Amino acid sequence: MLKRRGFLAKTVTALALLLVSALPYGLGRMLYPDTQRRKPTRNVKIDHIKLRPPGALKDESAFNAACIGCELCAEVCPPGCIQFYGQEGGDKANTPYIAPAEKACTLCNKCMEVCPTNALTETKREEIDMGIADIDETACYPWVDRGICGACAVVCPLGEQAIGFDFANIYRPVVKDACVGCGLCVEVCPHPSLPIRITERQRLT
Amino acid sequence: MNNSSDSKSSIENARQRDDAPFFMWRHLNKLRWLSLSIVFLMLVMIPLFSVYQTYIAAHAYDLLYPNEKMLYDVVETITSPFISDPETQLDLVKGNTWSGTLFGYQLTDPLAIVSQIAASTSIYWPFVLTGLIPLVFTLLFGRFYCGWICPASFLYELNSTLGLWLEKAGLKIGKRHFSKHIKYVILGMGLALSMISSAVLVAIIYPPAILGREIYYAIALGGFGSGIIFFIGTLLFDLLVSKRGFCRYLCPGGALYSLLGRYRLFRIKRVVEHCNDCAKCNAVCEFGLDPLRDHFGQECNNCSACIAVCPTDAMTFIVSVKDYPPQGPGHLGKKYRRGHPEQTIE
Repeated sequence: MLKRRGFLAKTVTALALLLVSALPYGLGRMLYPDTQRRKPTRNVKIDHIKLRPPGALKDESAFNAACIGCELCAEVCPPGCIQFYGQEGGDKANTPYIAPAEKACTLCNKCMEVCPTNALTETKREEIDMGIADIDETACYPWVDRGICGACAVVCPLGEQAIGFDFANIYRPVVKDACVGCGLCVEVCPHPSLPIRITERQRLT
Repeated sequence: MNNSSDSKSSIENARQRDDAPFFMWRHLNKLRWLSLSIVFLMLVMIPLFSVYQTYIAAHAYDLLYPNEKMLYDVVETITSPFISDPETQLDLVKGNTWSGTLFGYQLTDPLAIVSQIAASTSIYWPFVLTGLIPLVFTLLFGRFYCGWICPASFLYELNSTLGLWLEKAGLKIGKRHFSKHIKYVILGMGLALSMISSAVLVAIIYPPAILGREIYYAIALGGFGSGIIFFIGTLLFDLLVSKRGFCRYLCPGGALYSLLGRYRLFRIKRVVEHCNDCAKCNAVCEFGLDPLRDHFGQECNNCSACIAVCPTDAMTFIVSVKDYPPQGPGHLGKKYRRGHPEQTIE
């Protein structure tokens, strides 16, 4: 009898614990079910393009030391492009990144204004340095003569000074030095293989 | 002479006596639950607001899915009576208890400041000054954050109530005791490791920071992160090993607040003249302190649960930098025992 009671007690404990642990998960699902969640338009897994938000400290370890992981930058972001590294990021855990292929930064400067530490330092739009766009000329539609496009040049927030067209063919995009690497061109580019990458800016010191 | 009516009348007299504590102290506990609930509610609402703001910024109402439209409509209904321009005015309340904006004023958890200074080994004054108001409040009220604001504390207190229910149902819950000094070691080790790794590591094991983050992840970014596993682990630790064990023995934030609140100005004192030694205060104390024997110490978070439960109004607030020294058994208790000869003082 006592054994059976002990077994019952353990079963009830286990069920109660299961309930307790399932509660927050169910709460989250109830608040925002992802059954109809919009998937990124591309299925390509692009892990190598993860940019820091604009104005981030250039030194990676200095950024990790300054960021306290309070999520304020993501909360104020109008396009909602800022995401966070999980535990897989190692010492980058809970620090922000932008995946421009999914959703790109529009250079609105809100995240820099709201950051409590100086992890995101307030910077002028022209002086932001998230990287520089690099167009793969063996894939881009106008560059391989597969039609006319120019979507990247239309969407660029810095306009003509950051992206222009080739002299010979007025539809072939060419990146200029003023590009700050916001990644909007990566987001709008219609080519499935993502010919535009944001790479680190090489400077002659 | 009827003994029971005598003891009852002594309690009623205590309620109506001249030197009774300010009548509001009895109701502070309700105010505390209100404060905890509001903080937790805002922690859920602020991410919803920010999702709503992204929909507005994208001018995308017609492109939304039905459930997203429902979120838009609900948040619009809640906020539109108070604001006209949600895109900018909703920015006044942002963030979480780890660091956030409250009506335009930036407030930060002192633990965030200390660990960020340790991680970067430099002081960024605009950030440090955002912790000034919490720091002053902590110096005045001690660990008030743990009892009045902390969103994890809200769930932990509900969790210990669940423990009481389980105990009533005949199940065993953990009641182990450990050294109170473990949390100071954890705080020191956390800061030292932050200094070595130059990342704010304390944020990974600090429940309010985890909750603020994870609720935002769940609502705006599509799902809980791995931090919620640690948080559920602390809930199980509280239930199975030690009641409110994480806050009392392990929490680095609690350690910092305890140190800052060691010489706090506002304390709870037992009025020995009106105490009848019923020990309800000991039973109700979440942190397992001993108000009956005047042992509060730096762990007391001024939650005022013992004031609310005291039947003779023998608990009150005093302004002092030191605890009142032990005062021995309550005077009303002797009177009570005199009426009941079977309960004698040894």
